Amino acid sequence: MGDKTDIWQGTLALMILKTLEAMGALHGYGVARRIEQTSGGLLSVNYGTIYPALIKLEQEGYISSEWGMSDNNRRAKYYRLTRAGRRQLAEEAREWEKTTAILARFFAPAKES
Amino acid sequence: MRTRRLRSFFVRAGSLFSRRARDRELAEELESHIQMHTDENVRAGMSPREARRQALVALGGVAQTEEECRRQSGLPAVEGLWRNLRHSVRLLSKKPGFAATAVVTLALGIGATAAIYSVVYATLFEPMPYPKPEQLVMVWSKGNGRRSSVSAGDFLEWKRRAASFQYLEAWTGGGTFNVATEDRPEQVQAALMTPGFFRMTGAPMFLGRDFLPDEGVPGRDHVVVMTHRLWSLYFGADRGIVGRLIRMNGEPYTVVGVTPPGMRDRQQSQLMLPLAFKPEQITHDSRGLLVMGRLKDGVTPRQADAEMQSVTRQLAEEFPQTNVNWAAGVEPLQNDFIPDATIKNLWLLLGAVGFLLLIGCVNVANLLLARGTTRRREVAIRAALGATRGQLFAQFITESLVLALAGGALGVLLGWMIVQGILAILPFQMLPSEADVRLSVPVLIFTLAATIVAGLLFGCAPAWQASRLDLNEVLKQGGRAGGGGGRLRRALVVAEFALALTLLAGGGLALRSFWNLTRLDLGVRTDHVLTFYLPVPQSRFKEPERASPYYRQLLEKIGAVPGVETATVTTGLPLRGAGQVRPFRVVGAPPPAPGARQLAGFQYVTPGYFDTFGIRVVRGRHFTEQDGDAGARVAMVNETFARRYLAADDPLAQRIAVSQPAPPGSQGNAQGSAQNGAQGGERSGSESEWQIVGVFHDTRGGIGLRDDETPVVYLPFWQSPQPRASVAVRTAGEPESVTRDLAAAVSAVDPDLPLAGVKTMDQILGETLAFDRFGVVLYGSFAALALLLAAVGIYGVMAFAVAERAHEFGVRVALGAAGGQLLRLVLGEGVRLAVFGLLLGLGGAYLVGRVMRSNLYGVSALDARAFGGVAFVLLAAALLACYFPARRAARADPMVALREE
Repeated sequence: MGDKTDIWQGTLALMILKTLEAMGALHGYGVARRIEQTSGGLLSVNYGTIYPALIKLEQEGYISSEWGMSDNNRRAKYYRLTRAGRRQLAEEAREWEKTTAILARFFAPAKES
Repeated sequence: MRTRRLRSFFVRAGSLFSRRARDRELAEELESHIQMHTDENVRAGMSPREARRQALVALGGVAQTEEECRRQSGLPAVEGLWRNLRHSVRLLSKKPGFAATAVVTLALGIGATAAIYSVVYATLFEPMPYPKPEQLVMVWSKGNGRRSSVSAGDFLEWKRRAASFQYLEAWTGGGTFNVATEDRPEQVQAALMTPGFFRMTGAPMFLGRDFLPDEGVPGRDHVVVMTHRLWSLYFGADRGIVGRLIRMNGEPYTVVGVTPPGMRDRQQSQLMLPLAFKPEQITHDSRGLLVMGRLKDGVTPRQADAEMQSVTRQLAEEFPQTNVNWAAGVEPLQNDFIPDATIKNLWLLLGAVGFLLLIGCVNVANLLLARGTTRRREVAIRAALGATRGQLFAQFITESLVLALAGGALGVLLGWMIVQGILAILPFQMLPSEADVRLSVPVLIFTLAATIVAGLLFGCAPAWQASRLDLNEVLKQGGRAGGGGGRLRRALVVAEFALALTLLAGGGLALRSFWNLTRLDLGVRTDHVLTFYLPVPQSRFKEPERASPYYRQLLEKIGAVPGVETATVTTGLPLRGAGQVRPFRVVGAPPPAPGARQLAGFQYVTPGYFDTFGIRVVRGRHFTEQDGDAGARVAMVNETFARRYLAADDPLAQRIAVSQPAPPGSQGNAQGSAQNGAQGGERSGSESEWQIVGVFHDTRGGIGLRDDETPVVYLPFWQSPQPRASVAVRTAGEPESVTRDLAAAVSAVDPDLPLAGVKTMDQILGETLAFDRFGVVLYGSFAALALLLAAVGIYGVMAFAVAERAHEFGVRVALGAAGGQLLRLVLGEGVRLAVFGLLLGLGGAYLVGRVMRSNLYGVSALDARAFGGVAFVLLAAALLACYFPARRAARADPMVALREE
């Protein structure tokens, strides 16, 4: 796995929130797989790291959880976004865009000077 | 964001209580994760075994994930603490002997600290039990910078002129009243106070009301307020008492109120009467009132003081004869009545128990260090399993805190008992009556803080020792105890002996001082003397001369009582001081400078006084029955008087001139007047001269017998009979045995009169020394405890050192060392530690002596005998404590040692 990019600290939460927004209710395994797929295999999630992040988000009230049945009849814990989570996601997305925009200016070929 | 963090904290804290359920759920969730991943891998064509293995790899390990999640979902610091706590309690309960020793040692120190602090807090820090207590001030007259009580004239002028005060009220001792209660007459002290006094303090009444303004007028002043204690004791706590008439000194008084329980119950005066000034009492030079005021909102004591300076300046101009050189001082009421010596004593006692606690801490630290060496293996294994230094340190500190808290809990119990003991031996009125000594909440908080500080103090050394253990070294040795920590433990013993010597030196000095006081030449014989006084109503003798036949008859009857050898009537008692302080002048001597009046104690005695009290006449003669009405007016003076005022000539050739005694009643009675403070001067009336016929040896009086420089004049009672007086008899046998017969003799003369204040002179001497005895008892017990703890401490260290070196001693014996040599070796080592500590402690002892100096009598701050004595005692204790381990060393069995090899 060494050649795959490690997830930055802090962006994992954002990815989880975004994933849950896109997928609705999803279990931890599904979230991990989805993140891996979305990144096109460039990101490696050590699946175990998903869980502390999920716990933290739930403590902060951004997501809620309940037990349910998976497609192939396995009992699993499903997470979904709360209202606060949606707000938080919107805010963080804005922040993220701003950050990337700023960084993009640094790396874009100079126009003014 | 902040609220999110807070929410998260509460969720995490809440989950501490459902840890099991949480863990189970997590395990289930991870299991379902692995299942799903495995299913998918199988679908992708893996064998089930390989599928599951891959799933586990992708997860990154179940245990690791669980640990990460646990860290996130709970509060790891709290959980660690909790784990450490449980571990500590388990460990300690496995060694009950060790735990008990440590807990009891700590409890002694913490209990003593809590008890003394409760006295200090109640006396010095606790807000007084009045609303806005900071507004209450005392206003004193100040002559030559020394504070004095206040004259009625000054008080009334102050009240009229000063604008700083909401209230300005006065009170004074009202003497003793013979109160008719339901069962029998009782003697009760009363205070007189101007009617606004209770309103000023703001303390509500328990029953009824306080005085009305017009009750401070002669003729309407026969109303009384009593304390809750008196009400419960003598009036059956009858709620219907308000409005009832009670008889006091034969006159009817209406009860108008009862004060709430507490502060007033601790006062000497249990009755309060309105203070009504008769016109002839309103003078400017009879200073006998205490004045208290309540400042207006926003006025500081300093501002009020400045205003009083200008008021007293005006008065000095308007009444130059009496008020020149008299100023006033405004002082906050809080702590205004506590002598500096008492405050210093309280701090010294707090210091002493602090030292006791420190010694206890050193002992426990030593115990823990010794135990730490036997636990090296445990620590090493934990370290090998990945415990960090911080975690090991935290674990050992937690253990210490558990011990400390157990000691603190027991200490509070012990402190409560010590407080009860202190209250039982506390001399009456040593503390202000506002001081309610108890284990109050602030005291408990202080105790908790002291406990935690103690725990950290004694916990640091062993925790540090454990956390910097060299792992490899220990595991190589197979965990056998040895080396390490020995030097630290010895240093602690040295510190302990230094602390103990400091504490014991204080005790030794107090003891020496007390010893000196008890061996003082009192100038009187206190054995076989019984004294009492007669609460004669003020209205009894319209003319003072009528008192003479009354007391003659009384003395005659008393003298006839079997067992009574001699008897006397007197207005004062030795050790209690002369009853009155009056100005005088020596006839023919140049007049003293204005404002520097000569004052002396004046006492009226019958001829039997000298034999009854065994007072030595050093020159001339004492009074005889011839010095009566018809005889020439004569006087006797004490040696201090003769030395100070009559040094130039033969004292027996001198005469002194004294203004006429004050009218009856204006001086209070013989017993109560001393407490009214300086009663300098009366109105100058006609003067009379008295020929000095004798000089007598000084008798002691003053506070705790220390004040021995008071000039005293005796005048014959028969030449100026006084309405109220004490009686003293010298008896052949036990003085108390004649009490009943004396009461019969008195009632034969005056059936209405009870004997009041019946006491032997030995009892009075005991009361006089009560302050000092209190100090000696407390210092002594704390010093004894310190001695015990120091001995236990050195015993522990030496016993452990011997056990540790059993192998070495065995080898020495095998190589031919004699038992005696080993004995000397161990003893020498213990004594060396003790001596080193004692030398260090001398410095502390010297400082303690310096601080205590003013409270001591006849002892210097570096008293060789006191210091030598306690050093010797400590050394002896050290020797004894080292002897037992030394003997064990001497009996070392070489075979045991070699077999272990």
